[in-house]
Amino acid sequence: MLTCAEFLAEFGDYLEDAVSPEVRAQLEDHLHECKTCQVIVDSTRKTIRIVTESGCFALPEDKVEPIVKDVMARIRKKH
Amino acid sequence: MSYLQETELGADFAPFAAFREHFGFVPNLFRAQTLLPRAIEAEAGIAATVLLKQAALSRTQKEYILLKVAAAQRNTYCVTAHHHMLRSLGASEDQLNQVLTDHHRANISAADAALLDFALKLGQHAPWVSQEDIVSLRNYGFTDDAVLEAVLVTGLTNFLCTLSVGLGPAPDFEPKRIDSGETSQQRDNQRLSHGGRFASGPYLRAVEYSAANFPPFAFFQEQFGFIPNIFRAQTLRPDVLEAEAGVIRAVLLTKDLLSRVQKERILLVISAANLNTYCVAVHCEMLRALGVSEEDSDQIAVDHNQTDLSEADKALLDFALKLAVRPSEFQFEDVNLLRRQGLGEERMLEGVVMTALTNFLNTLQMGLGTIPDFTPKRVFTPRDLYPSVKESRPMSDVAVSQDPDTEVVRRVQAGDVDAFEELVRHHSRRVFGILAGLLGNMDDIRDVTQDVFLKAFEHIGSFQGRSKFSTWLTSIAINTGTQLLRESKPLEPLEEEDDEGFRPRQIQNWAENPEQLFAASQRDELVRAAVLRLPEKYRVVVLLRDLEQLSTEEAATALDLSIAALKARLLRGRLMLRESLAKHFICPGKQQP
Repeated sequence: MLTCAEFLAEFGDYLEDAVSPEVRAQLEDHLHECKTCQVIVDSTRKTIRIVTESGCFALPEDKVEPIVKDVMARIRKKH
Repeated sequence: MSYLQETELGADFAPFAAFREHFGFVPNLFRAQTLLPRAIEAEAGIAATVLLKQAALSRTQKEYILLKVAAAQRNTYCVTAHHHMLRSLGASEDQLNQVLTDHHRANISAADAALLDFALKLGQHAPWVSQEDIVSLRNYGFTDDAVLEAVLVTGLTNFLCTLSVGLGPAPDFEPKRIDSGETSQQRDNQRLSHGGRFASGPYLRAVEYSAANFPPFAFFQEQFGFIPNIFRAQTLRPDVLEAEAGVIRAVLLTKDLLSRVQKERILLVISAANLNTYCVAVHCEMLRALGVSEEDSDQIAVDHNQTDLSEADKALLDFALKLAVRPSEFQFEDVNLLRRQGLGEERMLEGVVMTALTNFLNTLQMGLGTIPDFTPKRVFTPRDLYPSVKESRPMSDVAVSQDPDTEVVRRVQAGDVDAFEELVRHHSRRVFGILAGLLGNMDDIRDVTQDVFLKAFEHIGSFQGRSKFSTWLTSIAINTGTQLLRESKPLEPLEEEDDEGFRPRQIQNWAENPEQLFAASQRDELVRAAVLRLPEKYRVVVLLRDLEQLSTEEAATALDLSIAALKARLLRGRLMLRESLAKHFICPGKQQP
């Protein structure tokens, strides 16, 4: 059985679906038996989902064209 | 017969005589180390004080710890040996099978079962051990002396298991099959939980000794220039400290085979992989005292394969790391790989012993909760999370050939100013998003966004298409944003110092659909605040990968980082976000008061 440290060593690649089938099987064996790591995997996936779907730093759609206009005006003024 | 050469030691070799006297035989594990008698002597000293000396725990309690922790590691050699020892102490076959299958249902006291729970947690899941585990043992009536012994025996188990994996001795008796009690393991692990709050250690009572009145401390003071806290925390057992000083003297401080620097590197690399900030800080400091720059030590801990160490030194660290941290994957072939580097049998043996010693010390530290002797200079990116990635820094992103902007960029470079408009339109969201994520609440992010495009326009002549245009633009946005960030908050430390930082702390279940707990705008505000709290180097990676959805290669190119470093920072950043969002998203009704 993998230890938690061994599990965490592969965790990043596991999240990205970038581990070999053999490693995946070992990790899932560990997960099957380790409640703590299960919670970490589940909550990290949810974190990524929440962050990815968040529009918290998004530029509002209607502000795009004003920026385009201002940038081009500044460039043309210089050139 | 084992992986390495052996030799005959005379019948009067004292440790072997002692083994015969106490165990009735000389374990093959020690016969496998006959090229290094000084190591056997030192190990025998530890075994005698930790295992054989009758103090707070009985020999049987200790043997059960050895048996269960070795079984959890599926270490047939050690399970066979300690099964034999328990049999000779009077335990029945049935009793042993019950304990192996499920010690909670075996005929042992609740206190002894709790002791095994603790040892299993420390042996297999050390980063999760906290003060609460110690308190719970105390509630079962264990004194600090007894807890210290449990920590020592668990450390000894990891020492012996690592030795046996690295040396491959034949079992001394008919091998005991480990059919493991999966059910028991499952139950053990479901009990795993962390108190949530990290009380700072040390966890146990200690006696005040000084270099003036206690020879082992005088020895540490003289050798290291200080008395490491890990030893100060064990003063309830001065005899063990003497034996530990003996191991340090015989294994770490000798220079006839591996150099002291080579040994310290082993300690450093494994401690980082074991998430042991205490030991990382100590051994960085020791390497510094040996003339290795802080920067070099740091890089060794981050990824020794990206240093200019010799191939043989890198191979030694690969070997030690696998043996220590991935014992289930370690094979005879790993020994042969190292053998081909021409180190010689004695040095390889010393490498195995050093690795085992590191696991011993790491386990002790996690069980004792000692605080660092030195402020950790920097919290390590979880390089340990990517111990053997050998990728180099990407020279360009993979998908350059498919850069949709190639044609437009070429027109701008040829003097078509108007063509630039399309690039601004396509990429203003990303540039704005990155700047907003870096700078937070600044009102003039739209102005800074414009500045970035102006810079890009001015330098577009130097863009040679080695990466995608969008990646190149992204790196300008990052540089502009981080520079402003540093100007606005010059005093903000760039590295966080929290030594517990890389251990996940919040381990309560999250709600099934955490999104539904808040309205979208509230959720955005939580994410925004959490992202802005991340240290800069993690924040930029999370921004690029999770918010702007760049590929790993694009993000690594934009930040001029290796793929390994990028991935490590991404995971760290995500775990930190998880930590800071957890309180909002854990199962309703289960929130801590």
